[in-house]
Amino acid sequence: MAAPHDCSFGCTRYWCGKPAFPDGRRALPLQRTIVALIFLLTLASSLRAQSEDTDVQRPVPIFSAGMGFITPFQGGQPNLDPLISPIFLIPIGDRWLIESRDTFESDFATPPGSDTFHGVIQKEVDYLQVDYIANPYVTVTVGRYLTPFGIFNERLYPIWIRDLQSDPLILPIATGPSNASTGAMFRGGFAISPKVNLNYAAYYSTLIAVSPVDSDRSAGGRVGIFLPDQRLEVGGSFQHLLQDERSNSFGFHFAWQPPPIPLDIRAEYARSSRGSGYWIESAYRLSQIATAQDYLRNVQLVARMQQFFVGALPSEVLPTANTQEFEFGLNYYFRDNLRAVSSYGRQFSSLGNVNVWTVGITYRIVTPIGHAGAD
Amino acid sequence: MTKQFLVFSLLAMAIGAGLLASAQDRQAAKPSASTAAAPSASPAAGRATVHDDAAERIEGEKRFKANCGRCHMAPEKFPPRMMATILRHMRVRATLTDEDTQLILHYMTQ
Repeated sequence: MAAPHDCSFGCTRYWCGKPAFPDGRRALPLQRTIVALIFLLTLASSLRAQSEDTDVQRPVPIFSAGMGFITPFQGGQPNLDPLISPIFLIPIGDRWLIESRDTFESDFATPPGSDTFHGVIQKEVDYLQVDYIANPYVTVTVGRYLTPFGIFNERLYPIWIRDLQSDPLILPIATGPSNASTGAMFRGGFAISPKVNLNYAAYYSTLIAVSPVDSDRSAGGRVGIFLPDQRLEVGGSFQHLLQDERSNSFGFHFAWQPPPIPLDIRAEYARSSRGSGYWIESAYRLSQIATAQDYLRNVQLVARMQQFFVGALPSEVLPTANTQEFEFGLNYYFRDNLRAVSSYGRQFSSLGNVNVWTVGITYRIVTPIGHAGAD
Repeated sequence: MTKQFLVFSLLAMAIGAGLLASAQDRQAAKPSASTAAAPSASPAAGRATVHDDAAERIEGEKRFKANCGRCHMAPEKFPPRMMATILRHMRVRATLTDEDTQLILHYMTQ
């Protein structure tokens, strides 16, 4: 402990509160020295890893972007929705990755009495996170990350991946504002037997009220079992809100790709105090049709059915009435990263039944930032 | 202050020297590119390597279809250094196992 002692300017005992210099500056405390050393060590390790790794598979920073132009017609009202979502992936050393995704989108509509489209560009930081692959079982993530609740938010959300362009009605349940959380997360996947993989994510998020990086204070996790041979995954998610009504949310997810046929079946269920519901979606690629193979193998048929039930507490982002919706889509892949999308849906609720049409185009680019090595 | 600065500098130099020595050890232990690329002395060993490589590629393709195809279309193949970054990203995003990541990377860079 701090023993009384006589000292003047220049005392270097870390617990001494007196200034070390006549102008009031204090001596470097021990804690800061340790932090500085750790920083130097980390920096030196990453530089060493980069300088000595001459393998051709040394990862290179990447810029990628999903972009699209979607025209939804809801209840006969046309909207124009351009979107671009840039992604940066910056690997450091053998175990680190800094990754970010932002979204710039707009919803241009014609206000009553106007013939021209008006709208504002919305900006969101979807994620900005640092990943550290600690070992084959654990990856530590710190920063702003997509909330791991269900599978749609983390895996199927990007515009170039999703088969239908409209969000599932239950997407806002437990994913927080902007579908993201801010804090720390442990996650990973490993084989628990030769035919079964287990994947998990556990996180804690803090409250941030500043847009566009707002998030809720919550804790939760997700566990999934994946059978690679059957291409079947089932899992569950849980979240405890540590603010407001301190409620619990839970959900289940299911994904199956029967190996013999190009069919995807996915489903999610979620329940919270603000609402509950489910969606089930199937997508079939016409690659096994014998006739007109050159064209039909690029065609994908999609169907989705979903229902939402209003909860005991109000919500600003969930439907305000019980709603059910059917959607059918037809996508055409010009290339794996360029496709035309279209869909028709009918939404039923006590507020009125509406038709929902969408047509559009989606595209994804990937380019290295630096020398990418041989093709 | 001068004393603390000296201690700090010495510690930093010691860590730096340790890292340098460790790097040199690793460099010495790592086979050179020419050694790695050289053909095997024994034909049997060469066949085994080719066989192992083909088996790894087949297993990698299987893992690729099972894991990546769950969410999106099979992408075109990118240069190896890009694939290494993409696989690290997907390992985190899709909670791929370490083994799946390595096998898919091997398959996608062949």
